[in-house]
Amino acid sequence: MSRQRIHTADYKAPGGKLVRVTLVEDSGIIRRAQITGDFFLLPEESLTRLEQSLIGIMITESAVKKVVDDFFTETGAQGLGVTREDFAKAITSVREPD
Amino acid sequence: MPETWRLVDVEFRDDPFMNLAIEEAIPRTVGLGKAPNTVRFWHNSNTIVLGCFQSANLEVNLEACKELGTDIVRRFTGGGAVYHDSGNLNYAISLKRGHPLIPTNDLQLAFQRLSEGTVQGLRALGVNAEFQPINDIQVNGLKVSGAAGSIRWDAIFHHGCILVGSDLSILAKVLNVAQVKLADKHVASVRKRVTTIRDELGRDVSTGEVKNSIAKGIEIAYNVRLQNGELSGEELALARELYDEKYSRPEWNLGR
Repeated sequence: MSRQRIHTADYKAPGGKLVRVTLVEDSGIIRRAQITGDFFLLPEESLTRLEQSLIGIMITESAVKKVVDDFFTETGAQGLGVTREDFAKAITSVREPD
Repeated sequence: MPETWRLVDVEFRDDPFMNLAIEEAIPRTVGLGKAPNTVRFWHNSNTIVLGCFQSANLEVNLEACKELGTDIVRRFTGGGAVYHDSGNLNYAISLKRGHPLIPTNDLQLAFQRLSEGTVQGLRALGVNAEFQPINDIQVNGLKVSGAAGSIRWDAIFHHGCILVGSDLSILAKVLNVAQVKLADKHVASVRKRVTTIRDELGRDVSTGEVKNSIAKGIEIAYNVRLQNGELSGEELALARELYDEKYSRPEWNLGR
């Protein structure tokens, strides 16, 4: 029996944009991640890479922060209206839908 | 001697998908050095334009769109969903990367600099327009224009839409606005956050009049001369290709 659960979060970056996260989780491990919102990120295609990098990690602050930090370092992506900290906070603030 | 930029009025009012395909074809061609720096003005009718990172399901009231015949198309730039109708004027600026106006790859600087012509044009009409970071133009605290943009394909691209005389009641029906976003702005609905040039001026104003004023604002703000031009055959062919492979497809428009 699958124990997969869906979690969502709407996170408003301070003074900035909205980051909406949907995670499929199984035993604390991220199985699928989708990040949407009205932020800006250059290059645009890099967002898919961030979503993919989240697969297989635990939903913990330290694990998520490391993946997000590595993503920005490795891709040189530029966010506007959203910082790397905002992405990390949005992802770790997920909860099960009402 | 002022620099000359091309001014194009190419639009497909009833085909938002082709309009967005052209929107991408121009900066790609400018970036290749095969077209001059370009300003485009255009209209859509009854369309929601989503930012490239947005979820159609979360942002759009799909049922209301169906009922009201509102099309949904995704653009290649980030930012938020906007509503277009014939009372909304769109403008787009495509510059070759490295243009002295935007010397670095700083998107915030691009938004600010490339909104200046529009702000000047709106002020010349008599509205108290101001750029509001990150990407808005406000009049007396209400949003009248939103911009988006990107730096890619060796081009700097900036586009925005201006609520000249749009039907804000439809806008409020077809767009879902996240509660968390409204709570932050201390207002109860999207309807109260936005205004139109018509309402601010207290008279009927055409998108053509606003366009002429913004074109002049652009010439003054950037010390350039706008010269009427057409899209090249190559640009149109690219737009058709982008239309077929991307903008006419639900996978692109509704996929996220």
